[in-house]
Amino acid sequence: MDGLGRYAGVIPEFDRFVEAIYRPLPVTARINALKTDRDRLLSRLKVAGVACRPFAWYPWGMRMGTDKPGNLVENLMGHIHIQEEISMVSAVVLDPRAGERVLDLCAAPGSKTTQIAMMMENRGLLVANDPANGRVASLRSNCERSGAINVAVTRYDGRRFPAQKFDRVLVDVPCTGQGMARKDPAVLGRWSLKRSLDLQRLQAALLKRGAEVASPGGTVVYSTCTFAPEENEAVVSRVLDQVRGLSLQEVCVPDLQGSPGLSEVGGSAFGEEMKRCARYYPHQNDTGGFFVAKLVKE
Amino acid sequence: MSQSSLRNRQPFLPVDRGEVAEMMGSRFGIPPRAFEAVSFFRRGRNIWAFSLADIPDLDYEALGLRFISVRGRVPKPTTYALQLFGRFATKNAVHLSDGEARRFIAGERQQLSAPVEDGYVVVSYRGDVLGCGLYSRGDLISQLPKERRIEGKDMEGFSEVSEGCGR
Repeated sequence: MDGLGRYAGVIPEFDRFVEAIYRPLPVTARINALKTDRDRLLSRLKVAGVACRPFAWYPWGMRMGTDKPGNLVENLMGHIHIQEEISMVSAVVLDPRAGERVLDLCAAPGSKTTQIAMMMENRGLLVANDPANGRVASLRSNCERSGAINVAVTRYDGRRFPAQKFDRVLVDVPCTGQGMARKDPAVLGRWSLKRSLDLQRLQAALLKRGAEVASPGGTVVYSTCTFAPEENEAVVSRVLDQVRGLSLQEVCVPDLQGSPGLSEVGGSAFGEEMKRCARYYPHQNDTGGFFVAKLVKE
Repeated sequence: MSQSSLRNRQPFLPVDRGEVAEMMGSRFGIPPRAFEAVSFFRRGRNIWAFSLADIPDLDYEALGLRFISVRGRVPKPTTYALQLFGRFATKNAVHLSDGEARRFIAGERQQLSAPVEDGYVVVSYRGDVLGCGLYSRGDLISQLPKERRIEGKDMEGFSEVSEGCGR
């Protein structure tokens, strides 16, 4: 069954999960504090007759009662950024501060980048890296529309990002994207164990480099939008073994329902500490699916 | 892309903040202090706005925001620059009604009587800046980037109030 049957004993309330994954996603967006303030934006949308309901767990995110938020003048002005609810978790866990040096290693198309730029209040340095030519165009376009002046775009192969030091690093890797099935059901048909294992090598190399360029005391966040443990816990566990002085911290986002990472599955043991990672399933918060791990360097 | 083509890219060279502040001040009356926390760099025919004066040694595809195009006879502020700083403008700024805003957003040229000089203007709607316009002999010509324009029939969320209330 679309590569999801293997999760029957793993994902809680599996029937509800399957039912949720075939429903379309709610329309969601993030308020961009670099260009407007929250009350002003909400009142603008109210006057325009667009219903909005901020998330319980994150005041800058909201569900919107319109099918085409991209055609709102507030989108043109960069006052909102159309972004899936659960993808806002990575930056929240990364918790960047104004004035820091931050690296977004796999940045395109820039939803998380622009969210990080906003959390940094347009100060400090945010290096947004992505090697793919076509994807960099959308990254640049989103950064410009959001009014980010603290984002520098680079195009290195993330596995060989130059030696620099960053206070925080986001490693939001390419993945099989099963958690995006509500947006594009075709992702389920494309999944295979081989694809997960092929990506695993790339993902581990990216996370390893991300961890290497983190400063002492720095934070590294690893995220994917897939359920496959091969691309999640297996990657984190491998890199914890490879990079000295790296430890896992518990991911906890108040008012957002999630499940702990998997300590073992199907005969593979990843270690008890993997429970500190977070898995978010579509039926828990009516969102896409997501995995997040938070690592801290000694 | 190969590493060599990265190396061949033109560098970002520092531009004096005062020079940029003078351009924005003389045309729009934006006070120089609006740019206190911003550094400026030039590459090719664009001036870019960035958060830091010192940039780490990396090959950059983009550095902050394209701020002013110095391609033409007159420097042209980008729509993105005006969306950030246009609210501080004290002159050469126009405020559009619903109908005028719709035409501007669709990328059109329209007749508009406004107390501004010919040249680039800050264009606002319902108190927020839409972007850059070119005012020329009684016409306002939208300078919104093509990928940002929205055709009238596709526009969402415009209030159903009659024309002229936004002035």
